[in-house]
Amino acid sequence: MGERGRGCCPPMDLMRSEPMQLVQLIIPIESAHLAVSYLGDLGLIQFKDICACLGKWRLLFVFIDAVTMVVFGEMLSLIIMVAGFFLSESMFSVSSFSQLNAEKSPFQRTYAIQIKRCGEMARKLRFFRDQMSKAGLPPAARSVTQDTSLDDLEVKLGDLEAELVEINANGEKLQRSYNELAEYKLVLHKAGEFFHSALSSAEAHQREQASNQTGEESLETPLLSEQETAIDSSKQVRLGFITGLVPRDKSMAFERILFRATRGNVFLKQATVDEPVIDPASGEKVEKNVFAVFFSGERAKNKILKICEAFGANRYSFHEDLGKQAQMITEVSGRLSELKTTIDAGLVHRGNLLQTIGEQFEQWNFLVRKEKAIYHTLNMLSIDVTKKCLVAEGWSPVFATKQIQDALHRATQDSNSQVDAIFQVLHTREMPPTYFRTNKFTSAYQEIVDAYGVAKYQEANPGVFTIVTFPFLFAVMFGDWGHGICLLLATSYFIIREKKLSSQKLGDIMDMTFGGRYVIMLMSLFSIYTGLIYNEFFSVPFELFAPSAYVCRDPACRDATTVGLIKARDTYPFGVDPAWHGSRSELPFLNSLKMKMSILLGVAQMNLGIIMSYFNAQFFKNSVNTWFQFIPQMIFLNSLFGYLSVLIIIKWCTGSKADLYHVMIYMFLSPTDELGENQLFAGQKMTQVEQSVDGEILFSPYSILIISDATRHQGESYAPLPDTEESLQSGANNDSHGHEEFEFSEVFVHQLIHTIEFVLGAVSNTASYLRLWALSLAHSELSTVFYEKVLLLAWGYNNVIILIVGIIIFIFATVGVLLVMETLSAFLHALRLHWVEFQNKFYEGDGYKFYPFTFTLLDNEEE
Amino acid sequence: MGFLVTTLIFVVVGVIACLCARICCNRGPSANLLHLTLIITATVCCWMMWAIVYLSQMNPLIVPILNETE
Repeated sequence: MGERGRGCCPPMDLMRSEPMQLVQLIIPIESAHLAVSYLGDLGLIQFKDICACLGKWRLLFVFIDAVTMVVFGEMLSLIIMVAGFFLSESMFSVSSFSQLNAEKSPFQRTYAIQIKRCGEMARKLRFFRDQMSKAGLPPAARSVTQDTSLDDLEVKLGDLEAELVEINANGEKLQRSYNELAEYKLVLHKAGEFFHSALSSAEAHQREQASNQTGEESLETPLLSEQETAIDSSKQVRLGFITGLVPRDKSMAFERILFRATRGNVFLKQATVDEPVIDPASGEKVEKNVFAVFFSGERAKNKILKICEAFGANRYSFHEDLGKQAQMITEVSGRLSELKTTIDAGLVHRGNLLQTIGEQFEQWNFLVRKEKAIYHTLNMLSIDVTKKCLVAEGWSPVFATKQIQDALHRATQDSNSQVDAIFQVLHTREMPPTYFRTNKFTSAYQEIVDAYGVAKYQEANPGVFTIVTFPFLFAVMFGDWGHGICLLLATSYFIIREKKLSSQKLGDIMDMTFGGRYVIMLMSLFSIYTGLIYNEFFSVPFELFAPSAYVCRDPACRDATTVGLIKARDTYPFGVDPAWHGSRSELPFLNSLKMKMSILLGVAQMNLGIIMSYFNAQFFKNSVNTWFQFIPQMIFLNSLFGYLSVLIIIKWCTGSKADLYHVMIYMFLSPTDELGENQLFAGQKMTQVEQSVDGEILFSPYSILIISDATRHQGESYAPLPDTEESLQSGANNDSHGHEEFEFSEVFVHQLIHTIEFVLGAVSNTASYLRLWALSLAHSELSTVFYEKVLLLAWGYNNVIILIVGIIIFIFATVGVLLVMETLSAFLHALRLHWVEFQNKFYEGDGYKFYPFTFTLLDNEEE
Repeated sequence: MGFLVTTLIFVVVGVIACLCARICCNRGPSANLLHLTLIITATVCCWMMWAIVYLSQMNPLIVPILNETE
């Protein structure tokens, strides 16, 4: 696949995908696990999922094989087995494959049990992690220590889990008892107070009554009072009581329902508890009241019990006797302190256990995930009929051949296997995945390009030029060397702390910014350059390179504000003359300059795009594309916009007053008219006539006819590939790729659409480059406003406080609007210019990325 | 300093940058070609920007008209 065309240009890194090959590995079963593990460490092969769809065919042949073995003996069965093997291989070509194997469900695969084991262990590890985070112990970073085998790890994890679960259960039980006892203590306290106060008031009452009774026996002494006391003493009923705690928010309802249920025949006394109490059942802090309910009768008691249960009020027994109360209090206090020490000891034990787990946690985690990945991969391979070896197919870069063979060899040795693994390259017509070898600098740019579309295998990679043109176009829109320096400082912080920050887990936005640190660095360097050219330092110009070219017409400068200055000295050598800033004619001059600059840069980049398509055509030896796509495109674009660029440059060089709009439009409307004052160079009229004719010719159906005819001829010239070692799967694709049928009308329409698209696109794309002007204008205006209306205004008041406030506002506005918002905005527009205007000239981008089987990605996996 | 002189300065700076890249990061012909391409692209971009701004100011059609306050 990669032998297409090499001779046109010397090879360049990153320009085209690494040549890839489809390899087939036959690995004996005993070394399979190790082999996959080493290949995973290598990270250079992408396995294809070819799991035995031959399930039913193989079963059939195994059955036949078994029968013949019994009936006819070994020789014949051996023949049938071999025949069956090859026949079943060819059966593949009948059915079509996709990357995801549809036939065998995940539960039927060979290594399903192992994966389940790994899943169990992963669950246990997740449980540990939860417990550790609840206890506030973060797991330590991974240390490279001993190799534990999977079985040992499984046993260890099982033990640890059992222990941890037990500790947790015990801890909960103890905690519950502790809470109950604490509540009991409160009840004893408060209820004791009730009885104490009740007792003392009752005594006081009795003393009063007694004093009443021992009073003078006069006629006024009511007779009824004697009767009442008599009645009282005979009717002294034994009152029962219940004490407990009820949540404060339910206490009113509790009281009301008690009253209603017992028809008002109870007496409820409540006292609030100051601090919230930990409820034993729920474990949360709740505000509670201590209550004591006095009732008489069995039925009332039952009702009250049920109501207490309904309200979740905890009941505790209480003795009237004062002595017993004191005894209970001391007993409860003693038990509370005992429980406390036990609970603390339990927590310490748990903490130690979690600590030991935490030290090894990351390493175990990694091991389990690695094993799971290995078993998933092993499931993707197919076991052949003899059940003695696994067959694997995958894509790998050509340069990795030696390394893969070494890894397989090492696996064979380490597993003490008799047979070596077989490595062979298959030929196929399938399109390989695209693989670019990037380093930390180029990977960010490659991601930017891939976000639009992954390059087709071996087509030219726009990422090469994007490395320079993207920051450059950003800088054209951002141009201010003060802001550029700020960006540079920010990104150099990231680059200096690179090693430390790459191992940390940053938030999403910080992650993206950190990943693009080299892009931003180049963006800031180019911004400093364009800032010097636009002569803007926070919108202030400086005379850095030479004195300004403009001086007053006369020494008194009388005409400076009406007719303006005059150019007396040499042109300012580097950048925009500082005299322009703040003048009344600044905008007309800068607008003209920036618009023309945008067109020139745009035409240059689009030409580069078309030239890239030429290189693609040369590489793929596609001469039709060269003659009938590249050349017409070049001619059309350059005869229109290339010519405009040339006119711009001539106008600048000669200082002519010709109106370029007029020239361009009338070139098509009436090409043979006299140019008059719009003449820029001799022979201009003839050139324009020629170019308008060019443009119209390209449009004509005649050219489209030629193009489509040539395409058809090319289609018939596909030579058949040598039929060596077709892969197991691509046999199916043989039929579909070999003979593409050419319908003339289809090609005609396709080319017509393509032509129209290009023609219209040329105008719209060139106009699209005017955003370079628009954004740089916006940036410089914003920057001017912040400088003049905030900083200078604050300076003008001659007040220190206002100055400080002004400076703070200026800093916030600059950072927020100009450094963040404008950066994002210019980034986005530069990206659009690349993705659409540059890449639609040559980029197809319909390939797929090479995702090798590697363990390094496991570190970044989210659970 | 004149258009041609400064253009020559750009060319010289580009050549020096290429040589520096070749000296300090020599990593095989394909990598060298990539570095060369990048440096040439950067030099051309920077030169184009400067040249456009310089050419536009060589024969100006309008001149700065100052504000009244200055």
